[in-house]
Amino acid sequence: MTEILRVDQATKTYGKRGEKQYQALKGINFGVDAGEFVAIMGASGSGKTTLLNILSTLDKPTTGHVFINHEDISTLNANQMADFRSKQIGFIFQDFNLLENLTNRENIALPLTLQGMSARKIDPLVDKIAARLGIKEILAKYPAQLSGGQKQRVASARALVHEPAILLADEPTGALDSSSARELLDTMVDLNQKDGVTTLMVTHDPFSASFANRILFIKDGKIGEQILKGEMSRQDFYHMLIDHLGTEE
Amino acid sequence: MIWKLSLTGIKSRFKDYLVLFSGLVVASMIFYMFLTIAINPSFMTHDVNAPYQYLSFIFGLGIVLLAIITLVYLMYANSFLLNMRQHDYGMFMMLGARSSRVGLLIFCETLITGTLAAVVGIVIGFGLTALVSQLLIHNLGLSITHFQVVLPNAILWTLVFFIVLFFIGALHNVRKLTRSKVIDLLHEQQEPVRLGHHSIWHAIEAVLGLILLATGYYVLSLPPAAIFMTMPIALVTIVAGSYCIFNALLTSVINMLLKKKSFSYRGIRLFTLGQLKFRLHDYTKILTVISLLFALALGAITVGLNFNTLKDQVQMSTYYDGTIVSNSPQVKRETAKLDVKSEQTYHYKETAKYLYFNQAEFTHHPVKTMHFEYKNGQQTYRLQQLPTNKLSQPGTDANEIFGGMVPNGTPKVIQLVSPKQWQTLAGKQKFVQFIRVKDFDKDYLTLLKIGEQQVRENKSFSDVYNISKAAAYKMMLGMASGFEFMGFFLGIAFLTMLASTLMFKVLSGAASDKIRYKMLFKIGARERVLRRSISSEIGILFLVPGILGVIDVLFGLKLFKALLPNPYANIWVPFLIFIVLYFLYYELTVKLYERIVLTKEL
Repeated sequence: MTEILRVDQATKTYGKRGEKQYQALKGINFGVDAGEFVAIMGASGSGKTTLLNILSTLDKPTTGHVFINHEDISTLNANQMADFRSKQIGFIFQDFNLLENLTNRENIALPLTLQGMSARKIDPLVDKIAARLGIKEILAKYPAQLSGGQKQRVASARALVHEPAILLADEPTGALDSSSARELLDTMVDLNQKDGVTTLMVTHDPFSASFANRILFIKDGKIGEQILKGEMSRQDFYHMLIDHLGTEE
Repeated sequence: MIWKLSLTGIKSRFKDYLVLFSGLVVASMIFYMFLTIAINPSFMTHDVNAPYQYLSFIFGLGIVLLAIITLVYLMYANSFLLNMRQHDYGMFMMLGARSSRVGLLIFCETLITGTLAAVVGIVIGFGLTALVSQLLIHNLGLSITHFQVVLPNAILWTLVFFIVLFFIGALHNVRKLTRSKVIDLLHEQQEPVRLGHHSIWHAIEAVLGLILLATGYYVLSLPPAAIFMTMPIALVTIVAGSYCIFNALLTSVINMLLKKKSFSYRGIRLFTLGQLKFRLHDYTKILTVISLLFALALGAITVGLNFNTLKDQVQMSTYYDGTIVSNSPQVKRETAKLDVKSEQTYHYKETAKYLYFNQAEFTHHPVKTMHFEYKNGQQTYRLQQLPTNKLSQPGTDANEIFGGMVPNGTPKVIQLVSPKQWQTLAGKQKFVQFIRVKDFDKDYLTLLKIGEQQVRENKSFSDVYNISKAAAYKMMLGMASGFEFMGFFLGIAFLTMLASTLMFKVLSGAASDKIRYKMLFKIGARERVLRRSISSEIGILFLVPGILGVIDVLFGLKLFKALLPNPYANIWVPFLIFIVLYFLYYELTVKLYERIVLTKEL
């Protein structure tokens, strides 16, 4: 298996030297293989958001390295980071972050136009991903005309339309009702299994996490244990996760 | 306790407060400065030297317009204040503060902010008024003497206006907040924008807008004589037309551009166009007001500066630069200072009833004068010679004009006689000498002195002096200075107000735009690309009413054809001044907006 993501001894310290400093990440090590679906779980203040910001090249580690697709993103400058994000990373946010003044089609096309892809090639790609996510009929509509579940599908299409190396999902079900959440998670699993979309989801919700193949726990700025789904059913994995959370100190 | 909380809240958002507060200070400052001219009758009558009724009409109109734009401005400022504080208010209520208590807090906060801004604005207004008036007086070489920097009436009215408006604003805020649910206050409403998509209606509205504008411009180009009829028509059609253009035409253009994917699917254009579409929908009214104010402000400066050309007009209107009738040493001394180009002397003998001129002197050197005429709607002057045989014929133009050129107290009859007869006539021999100088501007003051000296020596000369070029020039200089001053003042006041309003409108939406820029940044838009998007988006919001305003002015200036010889003369000067100032406002807005939306924290 090729490794898509490698985090190597990453630390993050806030505050200037000489002032009171706070270490949010204390030497993180882990990797994600191509085609994996990994969830990172942690409570508030565990360093989850800091880690996600570093993985998504929005922030740099104080020490250590992060490789995505074998490229060391901790050495990139601001413009290179922006270009890297636009090509290699797909984002799904908790609150969708769709632009309400653009149609859904235009929203999905945005990452491609930012990459400078020629206009002719864009629509076929938008149509393809929309068909895959079952949202072809609503492409001409505006986000405000959609349900929460539909909005998150459009957001997913936007995250995947440029075929990124990795999909980063930040509490993707946080703003959805239970049935929409379930639907979205099923879709993510489907994309992961059938299309080989490498996915890293950050969540504090055990139900969402149970859809992943592997769960990493982050606590006090360190990656603690990890649990693997293996051949287990999702329900069993969920119960195992609950047990794990219940026995955790 | 709640007051302490409130103060802490203000402190924590000090920067936002500073923007709001300085905006309000600017508003009250401009309002005060405007009033210092508008309600100062002695300035009007002495410095502007024009019928007060006419001016009070212009200024009445000015005050109404300024009051409207200030009102709009305060509305935005007030809603900005409310948006800024509502989360805090919500928190107080959640913590158990009674809504009546929070209501009182809001009321006092709004009123205190407003009153404080008004007072600070007036105080700065003193300094600024002094500065601006001095600058204008010096740079434009104006003669302004009755302009007062501290005008009690202006202070009073500015305070009343602002306090009343903020009182209403405060009541509105209290009503709005105490009727909202706490939960809504805590979570600022992020209502999705509902855009109408009836493209047929848009198309009809766009065409209607163009027709209305065209009608307005056509009406403006009608002869100025019908101004009282054409003006209201033009006002209504241009306002309605501008509204339709902003509401429909621009949205249609943007929709068209969005549909044309070879254009819109490039870089960040999709986002920029989307933002603009949303803005134009929200900005229709304010852009309409701004395009009109833009036109009025630019028009005021253009017309004001153009009054300068009246001076040239005076120079053109009279052929001879000066008239000499005295031999006194004082007059001789001053005359010697003149740089004379040509002179013409006519001798006459004065009796109780008659002025006898020697005809021979006219045969070789006929009297010349400038004849005023309208040619192709333009005012022009044509050089003409007064026919010598008509000079002594009562009832002819020549006789009347020439009669006014010689000192002729109780109108005496002009007679032209042959040289022989002239020799034999009794009566006191006198002369009248018409002078043309090489550079009137240079010799103007000397000519004025000579004229005044001769009036002192000879009362009957005053009629000649009053219509002399130097006297007319002096009067025109005073009037032109007054108008120039007013035009500049009005123009700058309107410009500041309209640009501040636009700036505030853009900035008050910035907080909710932040999340969009954050998202774009996350999906890989470079910061430079985001800055470019911001520049072009705000640029279009500034440019569009600007362009419409410029077109309005270009047509509107036709109205002044009756008043000014060529309203379009040197038009680039005011346009340049105006555009530079407007551009500075644009740059400031972009910088402030970027500071809000492109924050580092993610």
